[in-house]
Amino acid sequence: MSGIAGLAVTALLAAAAGSPLLSRAAFRGLTAPARVVLSAAAGAVLLSFAMTLFSFAGVSWNVAFLAGTAALIAALAARGLGIPAEPRAARAAVPPLASAAAACSIAAVLAAAAATESGAATSVDLFFFWGPKAQQFAAARGVDAAYLDEFFHRFMHPYYPPLVANLQAFAALVTGRFAWGAALATFPLLLAALAIALPGTLRAAAPARGLAAAASALAVGAVALIGIRAGIAGNGDMPLVFFEALAVALLLRADARAPGIELLSGILLAGAATAKVEGFVFALAAAALALVPRLRAPDTLPASAVRLLAPPVLALGAWFLFGGSRGLFRQSAEYGPFGVLHLEHARGITAAIGATLAHTAKALPYIVPLACLVAAGRPTRAALLPLGLAAAVVVFALFAYLHMAGDPRLWIEWSAPRVLMPVPVLLALALYAGRAGGEPGREGRSPR
Amino acid sequence: MSRLRSNAAAAVALCGAGLLAALALWSLPWKAGLGPAPTPFDRSAVPQLAPTYGLLAAAAGVIPAGASFAVRAEPRDAGVESDGHRLGLALLPGRRVLPAAYLGVFTPEEIWRDADYVVVVGRRPAGADGAPLLETPAGSVWRRPGRP
Repeated sequence: MSGIAGLAVTALLAAAAGSPLLSRAAFRGLTAPARVVLSAAAGAVLLSFAMTLFSFAGVSWNVAFLAGTAALIAALAARGLGIPAEPRAARAAVPPLASAAAACSIAAVLAAAAATESGAATSVDLFFFWGPKAQQFAAARGVDAAYLDEFFHRFMHPYYPPLVANLQAFAALVTGRFAWGAALATFPLLLAALAIALPGTLRAAAPARGLAAAASALAVGAVALIGIRAGIAGNGDMPLVFFEALAVALLLRADARAPGIELLSGILLAGAATAKVEGFVFALAAAALALVPRLRAPDTLPASAVRLLAPPVLALGAWFLFGGSRGLFRQSAEYGPFGVLHLEHARGITAAIGATLAHTAKALPYIVPLACLVAAGRPTRAALLPLGLAAAVVVFALFAYLHMAGDPRLWIEWSAPRVLMPVPVLLALALYAGRAGGEPGREGRSPR
Repeated sequence: MSRLRSNAAAAVALCGAGLLAALALWSLPWKAGLGPAPTPFDRSAVPQLAPTYGLLAAAAGVIPAGASFAVRAEPRDAGVESDGHRLGLALLPGRRVLPAAYLGVFTPEEIWRDADYVVVVGRRPAGADGAPLLETPAGSVWRRPGRP
């Protein structure tokens, strides 16, 4: 089977695994294309969760068994929460603004695809660690702790969360080999999936259709440009921003407090938390910021907290169980002890970040969404969630860079444009938030 | 009023989206061509990896599964050899890659001197025994004497 065909089958299996959840009436408020993409996203998170659990239990990976287990978890989660039905998404005529925004998104996705095909967006990290890990996991039919723990393999960050390598290994099992071209293609394909799902996830009411489409196109354009200039094809940054953007979009909906929406958002946050280290901080900050307005409803707060936090905690817990039992976390302090900050580097770090971003299309993928947000007028209260998250992303990046005892400039040069990629996406979501009519979570409150 | 604000915000976002999409298209390597490059690195931010990648991809056809190999540069270069070790793990699964350098530092020779095969990035090594199994403009692949 060709690599792209294997990737397509993987996406279909992930969508099938997520369908017991997304086919529930609770998600009728989403558009059909958004439901399909979200089903694949949720299914992918559950697949990775099942793969980690199987590895912990010493059970060999098998494509059908893994997909079945992920589907079973989705069905149990949906049933266990007793998600009530919600109104079907209203059909409305496509406003011209939405058509123009779709054209922008298509252009951005085509640019990402052309850059990937021509090798202009290749991520060296795919070949240095994501790919070798996934290839070995597929050959071993499980997370190969012995391989990760070999001294001369430790540059592959053995402690790193497993979702990206797991899913690439799953695709390799489907294909029958690890297909490097297909791994590279995940950049434009996930960007296309984001471009399809984001407008339909954001849109809660028909009048907001144009704004949802335009804000989505802004986010997609920023990711395409950063992805091309920073070379993210095949690495963990595109999956990370995919999960993060969709999770936040769900939390900005008018029905964000509906149990089904909260649970789905929690599952996507689990995807972010297990995609990259910074995704864990993002998931924690997103859940905390989303729960703040829910403090006014103390009777439903615990249930909301469980729906938002249980998926990331379980997904990471499975990885910590596996890694802890196999001694994989010995190297986790490679960037320095947690509490030791080298504040003497602060000025140099700020300058290096500025210089690196200026080198990434003159920082325009970061400046343009910010300028749009400012030009759109005073942010609404609903924008606090994406703006707070953008601040959290920046603070965590600074925190990480301040840990390095040596000169962190080379590290910053390699990583800052990618690590800060969620920021313009969150700025675009902040532009949308609260201007679509109705505050997030105003509808869909449930006594459950 | 709310709809007006929503439409104004949408128009602003659309302008930004159009600009970013245009910049994304503009940043493509139009002059070099949009077709597939010889390796994924030729037009990437790290084109210096392209020769090593191409050589190792070719070496996969002559180094059998189960064999061990090391990647050396001629003249010696710890950076090239470290990258060769990492790319070797990616491109030649099922073989044992013995690092001649690791994270930019040469390793002791006893770590890699017993390798069955040596992939040499760069010019042909002086005083090499026998004939290379494979030679490309990027380098050569040698089987150590007495190895299977």
